[in-house]
Amino acid sequence: MKKLIIISLLLGLVMMTWAGYGLSKESDTLKIGFLGALTGDVAMYGQPTLAGMKMAASEINQAGGVLGKKIVIVEADNRGDKQEAATIVQRFISRDKVIAIVGDPTTGITKVAAPICERNKVILLSAGATGTGVVELGKYIFRDTLLDTVAVPALIDYFVSNAGFKKVAVITSDNNDYSVGLTQVFKNAIKGKDCTIVSDEKVKDGDKDFSAQITNIKAKNPDIIFFSGYYTEGSLIMKEARKQGMKINMFGGDGLYSPTLISLGGQAIEGSMVYVGFSPEQPTPETAKFIEKYKTANKGVIPGLFEAQGYDAVRILAEALQRAKSSQPAKFRDAVAKTKDYKGVSGTITFQANQEPLKSPVYLLEIKNGQFALKAKVPVK
Amino acid sequence: MGNFLQNVVNQIDPYVMQILVNIGIGIILALGLNVITGLAGQLSLGHAAFMSIGAFTGAILTIKLGMPFGVNLLCSGFMAALFSVLIGFPTLRLSGDYLAIATLGFAEILKVVFLNLDITNRALGLSVPPPYSSIPLPVYVLISVVLAVTALALMQESRFGRALKAIREDEIAAEAMGVNATRYKIQAFAIGSFYAGVGGCLYAHFIAYINPSDFGFLKSIDILNMVVLGGLGSIPGVILGASLLTTAPEFLGFMKQYRMLVYGIILIILMLFRPNGLLGGVSFKEMVLKIFRKRTQPSRA
Repeated sequence: MKKLIIISLLLGLVMMTWAGYGLSKESDTLKIGFLGALTGDVAMYGQPTLAGMKMAASEINQAGGVLGKKIVIVEADNRGDKQEAATIVQRFISRDKVIAIVGDPTTGITKVAAPICERNKVILLSAGATGTGVVELGKYIFRDTLLDTVAVPALIDYFVSNAGFKKVAVITSDNNDYSVGLTQVFKNAIKGKDCTIVSDEKVKDGDKDFSAQITNIKAKNPDIIFFSGYYTEGSLIMKEARKQGMKINMFGGDGLYSPTLISLGGQAIEGSMVYVGFSPEQPTPETAKFIEKYKTANKGVIPGLFEAQGYDAVRILAEALQRAKSSQPAKFRDAVAKTKDYKGVSGTITFQANQEPLKSPVYLLEIKNGQFALKAKVPVK
Repeated sequence: MGNFLQNVVNQIDPYVMQILVNIGIGIILALGLNVITGLAGQLSLGHAAFMSIGAFTGAILTIKLGMPFGVNLLCSGFMAALFSVLIGFPTLRLSGDYLAIATLGFAEILKVVFLNLDITNRALGLSVPPPYSSIPLPVYVLISVVLAVTALALMQESRFGRALKAIREDEIAAEAMGVNATRYKIQAFAIGSFYAGVGGCLYAHFIAYINPSDFGFLKSIDILNMVVLGGLGSIPGVILGASLLTTAPEFLGFMKQYRMLVYGIILIILMLFRPNGLLGGVSFKEMVLKIFRKRTQPSRA
């Protein structure tokens, strides 16, 4: 009997918390859900995204809100767990009645959230997903990131014509979906260009020893190394290359774009390059204003790519609401889809007919004296 | 029929439904591990690997062949069971904890294999379309849970179940009494993995996107947690464990970042005060009978 009481108490507790979610109903607000991780392995993407979103919301609200209503950011922590993310999306939609969801910064969870959002006609605007097969999942699925399929061809052209590179070595981290996808994009983009892949090496996230791969690459004598993975492995790869006496540099996507790349890589990483859609190093006037405001609001912390993308996401949604004059799903969706030349802090954004964003320019950053410095603004055709 | 069931499902709040389906899938996975670890006493640390076999089999059958979902579920289960026999045959002939090591290794190998196969789309994972069936997915989950619980309850009281318990308590004594320990252990392992395969197939279609990295060591430990927390070998215990651990992130949500800290503390306290799990030693049959007796003879209560 005692056990039955304990069980029913526990069940009661569960029910109570469920019921609690339905209680707060305010019709004078527009709710936007934040989908992302605040704890766990990918919290470094989720936390800044949320900070950027909150800043955008408070700015919009101070200016009088949208359609006479205030924007409220509803947040939840999915820990980077797919099952939990699905539950959170469902809760956002059926309990919180959000009009749109911003997130997840990672491709995998965006793909989990997309079918649910599409089914319920709620806009999902990912501020970070760069992988393939995301917007194809539905008409209500958008993203505001710089796409590798857009950036990589422009960069290859830049390297071939400006630096005269002919031979490139590719390194892929084959247990990292971002890296595998980016390598695919790179291989497709290089076809027909005056540049060949002379070495195609595989590593794994978490590897510490890259001597075998670098030895192979050294034998092929390439002009540059393209590494599609994350910064930790990136800096260790360059350390190994320098140890073996190689003079060439590395370049890669925004997976490498972290201060850790430099602090870990030290001298070895000098001269390596990353391409990004947002660069606090050489800001446009809009971006400079954003950086200043963010710094005053956040104790001098300099915002990065994810803060900027989260900020832009909320701004794009607010702007679309204003144009649609309604938060009715179909009208709202069409207004978001018609976003054109939006001057965001993370670049100029236009949504194409297939909901894919076109962002220009691409910022190519070079590491100089232990800092990211702008090397070139590469225009996108 | 399909339309009617769809209407019934639509009556339930989608958020509650989401949690209920998560619980259901958790129960199926945990019951499977319960057969292996709870009944037969063999520690498997690769339950998520068998789940991933079911998930990828189910996803590929739906994508490539458009197979009806009911058949698909069975195929996924059998595929997982097949692999478990291949792993179990060499390792379960030995006594001791070799299965734990073998399954641990198998899970890692399988993850690397899936990360390098074209049919599983490598590290990019698979987006899974809705199942080919007019009956909604939650109904399949409900039916699977009911079947899984019934089958396990019957199994526990059968000659087979008693043989497994004998092996768990003392393998040498069981062998001396004429129980073919190897055969029974492999059978238990296959049944448990079948459950995992079915659970994985349901998971894949419910979450709609799977990636080999989702089925790592931590997922196996999650499932093991459900079984141990609820009570090894007890069906009501496993159901309770699966329900609690699946909903834990939801009702601890108000604690924000400290949630996982509290979750860990709760687990430690529970293991200190109830080392056999919440409902350790509680049998499904006895529980049902108890309720039934109270109903028919209220004067004795």
